[in-house]
Amino acid sequence: MTNNLTLGIETSCDETAAAVVADDNTVLSSVVSSQVDLHARYGGVVPEVASRAHVTLVAPVVAQALVEAGVEPKDIDLVAATRGPGLVGSLLVGVSAAKALSLVWDKPFKGVNHLEAHLYSCFLEEPELELPLVVLLVSGGHTILVSMEEHLQYLILGETLDDAVGEAYDKVARYLGLGYPGGPAIDQLAVHGQNSIKFPRPMINEGYDFSFSGLKTSVINYVRQHPEARTEDIAASFQEAAVEVLATKTKRAAIQINAKGVCIGGGVAANSRLREAIFDICLEEDLHPFVPSRAYCTDNAAMVAAIGWRRFRQDGPDPLDLGADPNLRLPCLSLMP
Amino acid sequence: MIILGIESATSQVGCAIGGHEGVLASVHSSRGRRHAENLAPQIDFVRKQARINLDEISVVAVDVGPGLYTGLRVGVATAISVAFGLGVPMIGVSSLDLLAYPVRHCTKLIVAAIDARRGEIFHANYRQVPGGVQRVSNPSVGNPEDVAAELLAHGHEALMVGDGAIRFADIFANLRGVEAAEPSMAYPSAASLVQLAHAKALREDFVKPSDLKPVYLRKPDAVEMDQQNRKHV
Ligand SMILES: [Zn+2]
Repeated sequence: MTNNLTLGIETSCDETAAAVVADDNTVLSSVVSSQVDLHARYGGVVPEVASRAHVTLVAPVVAQALVEAGVEPKDIDLVAATRGPGLVGSLLVGVSAAKALSLVWDKPFKGVNHLEAHLYSCFLEEPELELPLVVLLVSGGHTILVSMEEHLQYLILGETLDDAVGEAYDKVARYLGLGYPGGPAIDQLAVHGQNSIKFPRPMINEGYDFSFSGLKTSVINYVRQHPEARTEDIAASFQEAAVEVLATKTKRAAIQINAKGVCIGGGVAANSRLREAIFDICLEEDLHPFVPSRAYCTDNAAMVAAIGWRRFRQDGPDPLDLGADPNLRLPCLSLMP
Repeated sequence: MIILGIESATSQVGCAIGGHEGVLASVHSSRGRRHAENLAPQIDFVRKQARINLDEISVVAVDVGPGLYTGLRVGVATAISVAFGLGVPMIGVSSLDLLAYPVRHCTKLIVAAIDARRGEIFHANYRQVPGGVQRVSNPSVGNPEDVAAELLAHGHEALMVGDGAIRFADIFANLRGVEAAEPSMAYPSAASLVQLAHAKALREDFVKPSDLKPVYLRKPDAVEMDQQNRKHV
């Protein structure tokens, strides 16, 4: 049997996930039970509904991850779980489950930072990625541009000042009556539309911070004033504006830090137009692009197990009195001057 | 037979280990709502005090609520994972049963009441039977005023037990024949859980970890609102 097997558990939002990973990148199994259908009718994730579902799903999902990996509890060397950031009630289920398994199997436990797990998801498929890297982390809760000069050491170059980009997608989609989740709905519709409406590109030439609230508002105002406009064109034009801001800043950051490559992570990294744009900027600047497969962009436990093992190797195990931290920040050096 | 009992449905969190010989060790803490931080170390402590290896545990018992959601879920998620991790069956026991059991020698009506927040209590009624208590009403959630009115209407003599009885003591204080159990009885005990689970285990009254469900008694707010809206449309 392979050495260094980590069981990872992820319950920070609305996916109950478990995975078995060997060392820090060989995925033996990755099981994700999505609750998206449970939340769709409410137009967003309902924390109490999510927490209740995690309680009943966590053990079956772990069981399936072990079976699919073909391993037994005695083969596991580390149990890791996301401890933040996320919904506190949801996080507590995964952390409690992982600590219980760590206790009864007599294996070390490691609490994982969900953002750091996303940052490292690109290494699951491309372990030999060279540093320094610029990583753009985009999801419903986060929009962060990170410089990774050495392993496990980051500089946050910029963050959103208001809405996360995924949140802007969801709000625009809701306004357009496209339902929840909004990202995939807009992405699919945009394919059939024209980028014919000139929406603003907030802060595109200023620093590395982002602001998507103004873009969302101007889309909504435009729809009010132009009820005849085709939804496909609105979706395409909104998506174009959002992606241009993300790609432009990512490119500028890569040039500034002399990056070898550019990676994306988080749920919005599954967006097809953003993936194209990342390839485009890398081609222009002769950078190595890496976009994870869609399954590793959205929440999964393989990334949790992988970073859990890396962190365990560097920092050792966590004590069993570790709790969840819904506001956990990315561990980083200092801000850029 | 070795039973691990986990109890975390109120502001208290604790666990106990026992079996045919009775309760071998137990621990509780109630300061600062640290259920998730305290529970796993407590299990480790209790099994060491009881001088039991975790793989000797043959049943995991858990308080399934009703109670405070977040704490309750920490206990249930932990208990399910321990049982799954060891490959042993589970026994779920109501938090209200756990409150009534230690006052089983009282011949009056026993009203178990847990503070449910928002001015409400989770409650159920019990009567003494040989060797224990029997629940005579369904666990429900409601206003303490309604529970008090019910007691008054039936002229019941009653013993109120639980943190809900303490929280709303002034509502029950003026009822004739109604008294409150002492504050040391106000929380479900993990030791009682092990004792009640032992009796159930002898009857092989087990559930699989995948079938164990917490008892919330309330729908999530968003679900409640959604259903109301659909009714009105
Ligand atoms: Zn995520």
